[in-house]
Formats: sequence, C-alpha cells, structure tokens
Amino acid sequence: MNIGKQFKEGLLTKNPVFVQLLGMCSSLAITTSMFNGLGMGISVTLILICSNVFISALRKVIPSNIRIAAYIVIIAGFVTMVDLLLQAFLPALSENLGVFIPLIVVNCIILGRAEAFASKNGVLASAFDGLFQGIGYTMAITIMSIIREFLGAGTFGGGVLNGGEGIRILPEGYPALQMVMPVGGFLALGFLIAGFQWLMKKMEEKQKEGVK
Amino acid sequence: MKKTSNVGYILRLSLTLLVICAVVAVLLAEVNAITAPRITASKQEKTAQAVAAVLPDGETAAALDTYPDESGIIQAVYASETGYAIQVAPSGFDSQINMMVGVSKDGRVLGVSIISHTETAGLGAVAAAKTEKGQAFRDQFVGKSGVLAVSKDGGDIDAITSATITSRAVTSGVNAALQCAERLG
Amino acid sequence: MAPMKYFYELTISSSPHAHSPVTTRTIMRDVLIALLPALVGSVYFFGFRALMVTLVSAAACVFFEWGYRKLMHLDSTVYDMSAVVTGVLLAFVCPVTIPYWCILIGDFFAIVIVKQLFGGIGKNFVNPALAARAFLFSWPVVMNTWVKVGFENAAGVLDTADVVTAATPLSAMHQGAMPTDSLLNMFLGNVGGCLGETSTLLLLLGAAYLLLRRVISARIPLAFVGTVALIAVLFPQGNDPLAWMGAQVCAGGVMLGAFFMATDYVTSPVTKWGQVIFGMGCGALTMVIRYFGGYNEGVSYAILVMNACVVLLDKVGLPKKYGAVVKEGTKA
Repeated sequence: MNIGKQFKEGLLTKNPVFVQLLGMCSSLAITTSMFNGLGMGISVTLILICSNVFISALRKVIPSNIRIAAYIVIIAGFVTMVDLLLQAFLPALSENLGVFIPLIVVNCIILGRAEAFASKNGVLASAFDGLFQGIGYTMAITIMSIIREFLGAGTFGGGVLNGGEGIRILPEGYPALQMVMPVGGFLALGFLIAGFQWLMKKMEEKQKEGVK
Repeated sequence: MKKTSNVGYILRLSLTLLVICAVVAVLLAEVNAITAPRITASKQEKTAQAVAAVLPDGETAAALDTYPDESGIIQAVYASETGYAIQVAPSGFDSQINMMVGVSKDGRVLGVSIISHTETAGLGAVAAAKTEKGQAFRDQFVGKSGVLAVSKDGGDIDAITSATITSRAVTSGVNAALQCAERLG
Repeated sequence: MAPMKYFYELTISSSPHAHSPVTTRTIMRDVLIALLPALVGSVYFFGFRALMVTLVSAAACVFFEWGYRKLMHLDSTVYDMSAVVTGVLLAFVCPVTIPYWCILIGDFFAIVIVKQLFGGIGKNFVNPALAARAFLFSWPVVMNTWVKVGFENAAGVLDTADVVTAATPLSAMHQGAMPTDSLLNMFLGNVGGCLGETSTLLLLLGAAYLLLRRVISARIPLAFVGTVALIAVLFPQGNDPLAWMGAQVCAGGVMLGAFFMATDYVTSPVTKWGQVIFGMGCGALTMVIRYFGGYNEGVSYAILVMNACVVLLDKVGLPKKYGAVVKEGTKA
C-alpha cells in the first residue's frame, strides 16, 4: 500500500474522469455551477470511501458469482443514506442535484473501483483508494464546473459565494448559454481531456529528461 | 470453491446475499428514522412558504381534500379566509413547472410564485428568478381574472424574451388555478 | 531547402493523365460569385451593416484558419478560399444586428472547432457555417432580433441601438397562419429575416450560375425544395395549399440551405440515390421542425442532422462490383 502512489494515481495518472473516462454522465449533467460540482464530488467521495471499505472488508466472504449483485446492494444502500441525509440537512443541494444523487448508484466510478481495487485489497488501502479517486473526481468536476459556469453564466462560485448568486464576471447577455447545456458539457469535457492528456505527456517528458 | 450446482452451494450464495441485504436494510432504516422527521418538516415549511408568498400576509390556509381538477395539472389546493392557494404543475419547456397561484374569492389572481422548475437558465428560468425581470413577469398576473394568454396568442401577458414556451406554461398554470377557484366558488 | 518548395506545384502520378482546370479555389470562387446577388440584395434590404458583417466574418474566418495552421505548424490552406465561403455563409444565416464579437465567436467555432480540429478541409463531418449558427444560439436574444426590412430602417454599421424590430414571415407561419407580407415580397426578399436568406430570386440567380458552371448538381436542391413544397401542399395547416407552399419555400433559409449548404461536397453523400434521400430527409426534417418544434426555422438543424447521416447514405446506391472472386464457402 503506497499512499503517495495512490494519491498521484487518483488525482492524475488514473483520474476517473479525465483518464479512465468514468462517471461521465454526472460530469456532463451536474457541472453547471461550483456548488453543484463540489457537492456532487463530496457526496461521491463519501460513498466511494464507505462502499470501498465495506466491500473490501467482505471481499473474502462474498462469492464471486454474486459479487456484482452484492456490490450494488451495498452501494445502493449507501447512496440512499446519503440521499436522505442531503434531503434532511442540505435541501438546496439535494434539489439542485435532483435525480443525479440516486444515479450515483450506477456511477461507473464506484462499481469500477469496487471491482478493480476494493475486491482485491485490504480495508485501509481501499479506504485511501476511495478517498483519492473521490478527490480526483471532485477536482475534475469542479474544474469543469468553474469553466462552464464562467463561460455559460458569467459567474464564479454559483451557489457558494455572494449569497448563492456567485460573483458576476461577465455582464448579462455576453455568456454563451449553451455552455451550461449538454452541448457545453461535451465541449468542455472534450477540451479538458485533451488538455489533461497534453499536461501528462509534458510531465512524462520532463520526468524522462530528469532521469537522463 | 468448486463450481457445483449442488444445493449447499446455492444456499450459501443466497444466504450471503440475504445477510448483506439485511444489514444494509437495518442501517438504512436507522438513517431514515433520523432523517424522516426533518425531511417532512422541511417539505411542509416549503409548502407553507409557497402558500404565504401568494396569499395576503398573516393568513393561514388549510389543505382541501377534494377539489375540481378539469385541467389535470392541479397538485393541491389550500383554502384561506380570502381565497385559495392552488399548486399547479404545467408542462414547461423542459419538464413540469411547480408553481403556486393565489386566487381571491372573487376570481382575481393574488400572486404567482414558482416553487421548482428545470427551465433553461437565463431564458425560461427568468420566470422564477428573484430578479427585476422575473418579478415584473410574475406581477403581471396580479389582479387579472378570466382566461389569460400571452400577447402572441392574443392576450395581454408579455412573454419573456425568447422564452415563449415557458411564459405560455406559466400562463396556462394560472388559468388552471383560476378555473379551479371558480369551480370551488 | 529552396528547391523543394517548387515541387509543391509538380504533380507526379501514373496514367491516365487527364487534366482539369477545376481546383478547390475555382469552385469556391464560383460559389462566391453566386452569392454576390444575395449580398447586394442584403445591402439593399438591411443597409451597409450587412456588407460589414459579411466582410468581417469572411476576414475573421481567413485569419482563424491562417492562425490555426501556423500555430500547429501545418501548411497554410487559406489560398483555397473555403474559409471565405464559410465566413460569408455564416454571415448570411445571422440577423443583421448581430454584434461583431458574436460573429467572431461563430467564425472561430466554424473554422477552428468544426473544421480544423477534425483535420481541415474535407474532414469535417457537419457543415461548419451551420454548426456555428447552431452554436450561436447560445445568445438567443441576439439571434432572435429581427430588424424591419428596408434601407431606411437600416441598423447602424457600428451601433445597433435604434433599430425598429418587426416580426418575420416565419414567426407568423410558426403559428400556422399566412404571413402578412405578400408572396411577391417574400420572393423578392423584401421581408425580415437573416441577412442573406430573404431573397429567393437573388439566391436562385446565384444557384443558376452554379448549376451552369456545373459546380453543384440539381439533385439535392430539387429533392430538398421538392419535399418542402410537397409537405406544405399536403398539410397546409388550414391555409390555401398553393399559397402556403409558396410561403414555406420562400420564407426562411430553404433556398439558401438547399442550394448552398446542403450541396457542400464534404458533408453530402457521393452516390446519386444517397443524395436524393439526403435532400428529401433535409426537406422532411425542416417541415417537422417548423410544424412541431419550438423553433421558427428548421433548415439549419435539418441539414446538420442529415450531415450526420451521410456515412450511412453513402452506402445507398453504391455501384455494383462486377468480376469479384467468390470466397469459398459463401453462397454464389
């Protein structure tokens, strides 16, 4: 269990959104304001940690044939718990995210990490994996949210800063409305993936030069 | 584990799944018990707020069990001393617009407030926004009665620029509320 | 490496050595000539701002193409004039009051994102001007401001503050009613609308030039306009069928789309029957959007959707291959 390596993987080399291309439906639909992005990211991180820990603890007990069913039951249980907690304590976020909270059950990141990591590693390692993948996901969708919100609504920090209105940067009538619609989601995601890959290539080249 | 189809193996599979489901269910029941009262309370508060937004200050309203619903979009009706607060859900541009319409006993609109919607930000969403434009749009309905329409359809409601469908939806919601109030007397 | 530069002009290939004077540049030049009548008309109907917007759009497209190719260390392709045509066509499908910053964003989207990022000319999968127009719907208030037609009502070249707005024929037709403008005015172009699409007559003049020069074939435009006319005559929504048909064909971007956008070589099918189905699909989708959709105009989205289907349409009407060897084990 190498925490440093897991941290780097979760954030960069195995970033769930930009590299593994998992959880894209939520990235495209949710990222219209910083509040939504952060809120969704933190919810997914929580669920990831809990489900990873549970599944890792039970990995020797769950027979291989029924493992997907068992994982889904555990994940759905945690998602429902988070959904209820959000409805009770953060109703604004729950309303904004709407149907996408229950949809976390089928978010590929959670099932993917359960299958790829938690079912094969210890509890502590799985917990950290959940944490770092969750942080990577949160970082990815927060960046997307900031960009889409700026280009599509002209504000920064919608829902978080300035009493929920966000700090207005572009005057009304100038932002491109389609950036907060699905069109903008695909455009933003595409360009961010491209930018990310370019960044990673640059880092790799620098590392190679450093080794030489 | 040898992959046999004998009864013992299948029993083990089912039992494992049963135990997992049971544990998760118990945990869920616990969380539900903690959160349920808060959720109901916040939902009631939200409805009360929406009702208060459209009725004159200081009035209390009680929910009616039965009400005439010719339009099919009425969700709830609350009766107070001077009128009704009617919750309607017309189909907007994206999906339903959840709104509350206050109607006085003599058939005039007292107020319109949008509870929730999924209209396009910057366009249809202006109808629900707390901005000047949004407030001006909703205030148009106050005092009117009968069957209303947007100017494009020959009425006197000014639609929001480039958001005709949303404006039409809100107008149809108000019309349904007015009709219901008229039937109620 | 000076000597190598001259080899660009040298074409090395095996026989047959058939030579044609037609290049991309000559085709684009012909398209521009064909668009000239509509451009002159746009100035007459909407004032000099129309000319300015068109020039700015064309210049910006050339600049973006040159800039992108230079930044990416690729050969410069601005000499084939396709960027100019994209710029002019994009200007033609926008209202005359479009702010310059807005059309610049549209030009950037059309040239860099739709065309160059996919590999340059010949590699785009949708019509760049129409895709940019669809993207420009991000500013719906801007894209839906229609000036009252007439040189005297012209919007200022630099500032569009005092414009008299008026409804376009399409907005009345979207409600199912005949527009208040006469059919003659709609045919001549003396109506509101996007700056290059109003005049059926001038566009037809340009189209006739293109047909004579054999730049386009009549298949797609006839299929397109024919389907629009047929659906209009069969379903006149309570109006006089022939008048409604005339209105549907002359209003909006049907003429511009059918002759100048749908016939784009890159984004239309190669096979004859593919082209016919393409044209019919465009016409049918245009009418569906106009009758049932939320928008007044359906031409741009219809063409974009059919562009996406071209991969399949190319398979329709493929010539039969003779003389192939039958694989062992397959039916003869």
